[in-house]
Amino acid sequence: MVSRPALLFAALGISGLLLPLVQFKANRIAAGDGINLAAAFAGGAAVTALLGVALLAACHARWPAWLRLAMAVLGMAAITLSLGFAARELSAEAGKLARVAPASGFWLVLTAFALMLADAITRLRLSMPARWLLLGAAILLVAALLGSSILDQVSVKREFAVRREPFLHEARTHLLLAFGSLGLALLAGLPLGVAIFQRPEWRGPVLAVLNILQTIPSLALFGILIPLLGWVAATLPGATRLGVSGIGIFPAMTALFLYSLLPIVSNTVAGLAAVPGPVREAGTGLGMTRGQMLFQVQVPLAMPALLAGMRIVLVQNIGLAVIAGLIGGGGFGTFVFQGLNQTAMDLVLLGALPTIALALLAGIVMDLLVDLSREKGRMP
Amino acid sequence: MIELRGLTRIYDGVPAVDDVSLAVGTGEIATLVGTSGSGKTTLLRMVNRLVVPSAGTVLIDGVDTATIPVHQLRRRIGYAIQGDGLFPHRSVAQNIATVPRLLGWPKAKVDARIDELLDLFQMEPARFRDRMPHQLSGGQAQRVGVARALAARPDLLLMDEPFGALDSVIRAKAQADLRDIQQRLGATIILVTHDIEEAVRLGDRLAVMDRGRILQYDRPARILTAPATPFVRELVGTGERVYRLLSLTAVADIVTEGEAQGSPIGPQTTLRDALAECLWSGRDALPVEGGGIVTLAALRAHASQAPE
Amino acid sequence: MPRFPSLLAAAASLLMLSTPVLAQDIVVSSKIDTEGGLLGNMILLALRDAGLPVQDKLQLGGTPIMRDAITAGQIDIYPEYTANGAFFFNEGDSDVWKDAAKGYARVAELDKAQNDIVWLDPAPANNTWAIALRQDVATENGLSTMSQLGEWIAGGGKVKLAASTEFVTSPAALPAFQQTYGFTLKPDQLVQLSGGDTAATIAAAAQQTSGVNAAMVYGTDGAIAEAGLLVMEDDKAVQPVYEPAPIVRAKILADHPEIKEILAPIFATLNLQTLQSLNGRIQVGGEPAAAVAQDYLTEAGFLH
Repeated sequence: MVSRPALLFAALGISGLLLPLVQFKANRIAAGDGINLAAAFAGGAAVTALLGVALLAACHARWPAWLRLAMAVLGMAAITLSLGFAARELSAEAGKLARVAPASGFWLVLTAFALMLADAITRLRLSMPARWLLLGAAILLVAALLGSSILDQVSVKREFAVRREPFLHEARTHLLLAFGSLGLALLAGLPLGVAIFQRPEWRGPVLAVLNILQTIPSLALFGILIPLLGWVAATLPGATRLGVSGIGIFPAMTALFLYSLLPIVSNTVAGLAAVPGPVREAGTGLGMTRGQMLFQVQVPLAMPALLAGMRIVLVQNIGLAVIAGLIGGGGFGTFVFQGLNQTAMDLVLLGALPTIALALLAGIVMDLLVDLSREKGRMP
Repeated sequence: MIELRGLTRIYDGVPAVDDVSLAVGTGEIATLVGTSGSGKTTLLRMVNRLVVPSAGTVLIDGVDTATIPVHQLRRRIGYAIQGDGLFPHRSVAQNIATVPRLLGWPKAKVDARIDELLDLFQMEPARFRDRMPHQLSGGQAQRVGVARALAARPDLLLMDEPFGALDSVIRAKAQADLRDIQQRLGATIILVTHDIEEAVRLGDRLAVMDRGRILQYDRPARILTAPATPFVRELVGTGERVYRLLSLTAVADIVTEGEAQGSPIGPQTTLRDALAECLWSGRDALPVEGGGIVTLAALRAHASQAPE
Repeated sequence: MPRFPSLLAAAASLLMLSTPVLAQDIVVSSKIDTEGGLLGNMILLALRDAGLPVQDKLQLGGTPIMRDAITAGQIDIYPEYTANGAFFFNEGDSDVWKDAAKGYARVAELDKAQNDIVWLDPAPANNTWAIALRQDVATENGLSTMSQLGEWIAGGGKVKLAASTEFVTSPAALPAFQQTYGFTLKPDQLVQLSGGDTAATIAAAAQQTSGVNAAMVYGTDGAIAEAGLLVMEDDKAVQPVYEPAPIVRAKILADHPEIKEILAPIFATLNLQTLQSLNGRIQVGGEPAAAVAQDYLTEAGFLH
């Protein structure tokens, strides 16, 4: 009796254990040697063996879900701590320029246990409050790991250490880009969605235009916006004072806003359309005004679809905002492109990892909110 | 109390409702019967202006409804529909409280009214007040829908196939309950149905509609015994009509002195059920609870009172 | 720098007349690469130290973005390279770019006339395609110029060059060197890497991977010093000369003429080795550009 998913996790994890845990580089742009977990620090071999055994043992189908959860958490913690210890030990003997970067082995083992975690959580079928609690605990644990000194010698953290202020600044900018564009899209898209829901003859043209917008490749759209907005800023009096600009955060925000419209508008329409006919008939017949119907009945019932649209936009924009780094718009993309330019992968990771983590977090939180709204709405 | 004058509604050049005039007295139940497409629902929805008439007026207590702001009008008229249309995201109490809250009733008054209505519909307030619509059975949901329609004490109640979604077992009970409640509250009801049986059972007066016109508007007995057009005659059905006619009268009306054998029937039993019991138990006479008998002969006499 | 991201290029023609922007601050910008960060920060710190109101828009993007931005008046000053004038003004065939002084004069003349942009004094460093040799090999054989290198190779010197395919095949690159300096590299003396990544070629020479002891580089690459390589001087001027110089909108310079005097002495000190070592601290050492710029200016006495 073998659990098939666990077999997959074991395969991934064990390959990871056999591959290098870290890359030990002479400096941040040099190639470096791969070093396995077993050789990385005193006790590394023991940790390798333990993790390998855990991965294999989890293949037994009878393990209860909570045990898998615990094992996954421990595994992820163990490999992360191992990364930290390896970095510390290897850096201790090397010069100031040397770097220890996470390598394929680390990522594979981490992924294997992360998948095990996701699998366990699904099996547990937790209640809504429990899921929120679990998310909170996860965030605290990750924050604790990152905040502690254990990972200080890992290359990515060293990149962070010399640019703490700029990192925080770009983090704020990135959040502004992602949430700001979502906010603007809601401001414009919700009324637009309601309008074309109430006038079906407009639906076709409006959605067609938004669809076309959506298919423009992001770099091309940025490319069009820069001279366009630059011209607007130059010719329209007072435009610059309002912040209109061809470079920087303005074109980035504009592009993100445009990409967010379709999901918001089309999900608004879909959500409103899903309100059952008898409900709308009853509401109107009982004497609700259009506004009352909209805000008291239709929007609450359309909320799951709306939140699903917001989820799409948020996760999309967190990733897309990286491109703002190409035009001076700020955000984590700044580090990605600086890193690419310097051929320093650690700097690229400093931009990429927070972006991924943020997108994951946003996805999870929004999913929870969608489920919450579904419970409250209880549509037949 | 409510008068429809020359109501017409035209869609794409075709009249869905064609010059309809009728009046319903206060405290009466008027049923609109017809096949689908006869315009009965459109007509109903012109009363609360969910459909705007192409011509004609609706007068409630002498006031032309076109002069009243439409939301105010609807809040004064109860509206219950097939599939009940309960708001899925609101509890039973919140659903019932819809119109009172729109009218700005104080909270205490609203709460009291909710409990009063739940009691009236035989749903224990403590158990049902906080339930969500998806936790109710079909019959319970339908009752909550009607309660919601009655919450603000409207003088007029419009019902569009309110029992359509119920299975036949509970439908009869629901219909009986409605009669009961209407009598207690004294509400005026206009009810649309495609079921002639239901129309006969509930209506003080029936309006038979076909293709947007009213063919006959009369008491059920008259509709059954003297159909105005062949369509009406077909609708009431030659096979069923005698039983429907019998169902309009209670045994108490034709009870006579005498003795009879076997288990008795209640005085409010319809003649139709009495006839059925006679045939089933093979008796010529049935004892009536509280005294007296009803004879098969009397039943037959009553049935054949219908001239053709 | 001769690299040109193609994606955001042509739409520049859509562009705007530069209606000057009413901003108090001087908007200091730079390209997104390592040297751009270094030079841009130097300009920013120097101007700020002199009491001028400045706004930081450093590390903005690639060359096309910079040109769009400055001609639109969205930024006021940034470091550009003299030989890029060939692309800006479509004079790629002209030989004037191979001469430092003539190239500078030409681009300054054209930019002032057409865009009202003033080129300030450049740094004496040529950030162009070059061949760098391992220091030990160079010292052993007394090689410091391309002519000497060419002679040595033609005389049988053992060389193995790591370069990109573009460098090897482009007529303006290796073939031009070979023709001018009289040597030919045989296929087994070449290691071709697919991308234009000089960090990889430098690393190959540093670690003597596959026997590589020479690398294709850009003159001021930060990894050169650390890797122990020596750039062979292009004494017969085969490659265009890319000297970095601050370029500023004429109006801003008119408002603040002291900018010229502030920056000229700083740029004058930035020779090839200095830039290599500063870039090295950023790229190899991982220090942020602002800190390196600050350090250098303070030590050299330019900041008060």
